[in-house]
Amino acid sequence: MRRLFYIVRLFKEYFILALFVIVSISLMAQNDNRQIHGIRTLTIGLLGKMQESVSFLPNFFHLQEENEALRRANVNLADELNQLREAKLENMRLHRLLGLRETAKYDLIPAKVIGKTLYLLRNTITMNVGEKDRVAPGMPIVTDRGLVGKILATSGGYALGEIIMNRDFRVGARIQRSRVDGILAWEGGTHSRLKNISKTLDVKVGDVVETSGYSNTYPPSIRIGVVGAVTEQPGSLFKTIWVENAVDFATLEEVFVMNSLPDSARARLEEKVLR
Amino acid sequence: MNVYASIRYGLITVVLIVLQTTFIRFISIESITPDILVVWIVYLALRYGQIHATVAGFILGFIVDIISGDFLGLYALSKTVCGFVAGYSYDENRTTQTLATYRFALIVLLASIVHNVIYFTIFVQGSELPFWRTLGLFGVTTSLYTSALSLLPIFGYSRAKGDRVLPR
Repeated sequence: MRRLFYIVRLFKEYFILALFVIVSISLMAQNDNRQIHGIRTLTIGLLGKMQESVSFLPNFFHLQEENEALRRANVNLADELNQLREAKLENMRLHRLLGLRETAKYDLIPAKVIGKTLYLLRNTITMNVGEKDRVAPGMPIVTDRGLVGKILATSGGYALGEIIMNRDFRVGARIQRSRVDGILAWEGGTHSRLKNISKTLDVKVGDVVETSGYSNTYPPSIRIGVVGAVTEQPGSLFKTIWVENAVDFATLEEVFVMNSLPDSARARLEEKVLR
Repeated sequence: MNVYASIRYGLITVVLIVLQTTFIRFISIESITPDILVVWIVYLALRYGQIHATVAGFILGFIVDIISGDFLGLYALSKTVCGFVAGYSYDENRTTQTLATYRFALIVLLASIVHNVIYFTIFVQGSELPFWRTLGLFGVTTSLYTSALSLLPIFGYSRAKGDRVLPR
């Protein structure tokens, strides 16, 4: 026994390292534990309060870039507004003719982005809405420009959102014009990538990419972006399609949370069958 | 380390975590942010040795894991090993020379690279993210930025001790 203690004392640095490595790996295996969700809820609340208190401060490196983007967006929006007015008038006329009621399919919960966490490839946003505003994990986040991401976790007054530019983000997407389906993911950089599109399918630069509706989380036809580049690698069956995101995450301030939760019956069935 | 020193270091740790999670984005360049917690772990390694740095690395990593919202345990593992590796630079007779010279930035760079290699090795599993490209684009740049940032405490420490930053 004394010999064992002697060995432990002699190599105590290595024993401590081994202990913490084992604990860390055990934690990695416990990622859906309920207690851990509870701790996360608490910390998201605290973090949200801190980030809210400094949300008025600008990022000095991005200020000029942000101003230019805002000016450009302003011109585009003014132009878009005129087109939308025309479209709305036309829409109203058509609605009257058809006797349809103007209904919104989902409630939109307005939220302010009070914090952005850029930590390696885990990009998230913190919003000033939470469980008291009926926001729950899994709800999609959008802006007038398109899809932002989905709610990852919530506390009473705050919510943490996973954005498209996050390594873990995946969404079923389709080309609006040709209805070709694929899976959109982000692999770093400023563009996302549309995967699993065969070389024989019809995809062109400039095509609008939107949610496909096959996902249980995202409703169909939410704009994601436009195809920025299409390349074909020799030896691969698939096209490499880069998508320019519709939403500019550098200037993201106001978002909407869609009051749409994944269909639990469908999720249960898919989990049961596909597991 | 006595009780008062422990409390002081605990408070500094809390402040650094707040800085890392709340304020550090203000100095991000193209989504690359320095990891000031790695700098702190290396400092503790040089002041107090391998065991303290390993324990501090685990605690800091665990807290960041909880705050960052996903993949619990990954930062804990990376920062534990980072602290352990940084602890090899501990030499109680040369602490001041190391902390007040460019050697500190080099140790931070090495520890940060070890941290990011472990982090991305596990992080890219199950995804189509290319390991080397991801490590190069995010891991190495983050390490360089972190190392550059560690020059600030060197100047501070060097001025406080009245030493030169570069060797005579």
